[in-house]
Amino acid sequence: MNGAVPTTIIVVGLGLAAYALLTTARNRRVGLGLLVVLGVLEILLLVLVGLIVARLAGGGRPTGMVMLVGYLIAMPLVPVVAGFWGAMERSRWGPAVYAVAGLAAAILMVRLHEIWAVIHV
Amino acid sequence: MSETEASPETASAPVTAAAPETQASPGTAASPPESTRTGPGRLLVAVYGLFALSACARAGTQIATEFSRAPAAYVLSALAGVVYIVATVTLVNGSRTARRIAFVSCSVELVGVLAVGTWSVLDPASFPDATVWSTYGVGYGFVPLVLPVFGLLWLRRWARRRPVAADAPDLGRQ
Repeated sequence: MNGAVPTTIIVVGLGLAAYALLTTARNRRVGLGLLVVLGVLEILLLVLVGLIVARLAGGGRPTGMVMLVGYLIAMPLVPVVAGFWGAMERSRWGPAVYAVAGLAAAILMVRLHEIWAVIHV
Repeated sequence: MSETEASPETASAPVTAAAPETQASPGTAASPPESTRTGPGRLLVAVYGLFALSACARAGTQIATEFSRAPAAYVLSALAGVVYIVATVTLVNGSRTARRIAFVSCSVELVGVLAVGTWSVLDPASFPDATVWSTYGVGYGFVPLVLPVFGLLWLRRWARRRPVAADAPDLGRQ
């Protein structure tokens, strides 16, 4: 597995965090732009889950199998839960939730690599 | 969080236009936070929820797969996870009782991160595997150290805002 998808996720996640924090600083609520970036992040995470599942189906086994399965379940949920939770907020603090989701996605990629080194960053 | 501190009296009058944080920018709410889960609380709940998930997942897998390796560390991880869950749920609920429980859990969390942090620095041998609170949460960007402080500040603001207010669990529910 090459590292293109996890690396893109880190870039998009950090970009989302920066964009969201800027939105919070400008005292705006969640808008279409943030939702689009969050949607892109979700799609990328789902693609990565697919790639990892394919790798598992091909016979690859990490040492921390239980942890990896937990990540496969939790990872795609992060943008979805954050998306609803932040969109419910009608103040600047909604985008701040999106920033947390973006940072979390980036950190998850680093942890994934620690769990299973074949997942390059 | 400090700029919203200035309008504690607007709690009972959410439509007050004089609140300082309601700058007239488009797309911004014109009312102060209505409950412990809105406004800055929205961010707090999100971070608490994330930590509840990660601490419990970490503790769960550690206890299930390699408990004998570092029982103290794993039990502390589980305790941290429980504290984060309690804080998340009570901040979302926001009733007076819930705020009291949240206050206790944030206090336990602050004491826990300071105690475990100090313990892990003085006696690293007890922590062959890191917990959320090891070295004051360094593995989590020190967020575990900062989070209970913001939680307690947020709750204190609510305690001041309505000294004798009745429970209002439905306020701000969408």
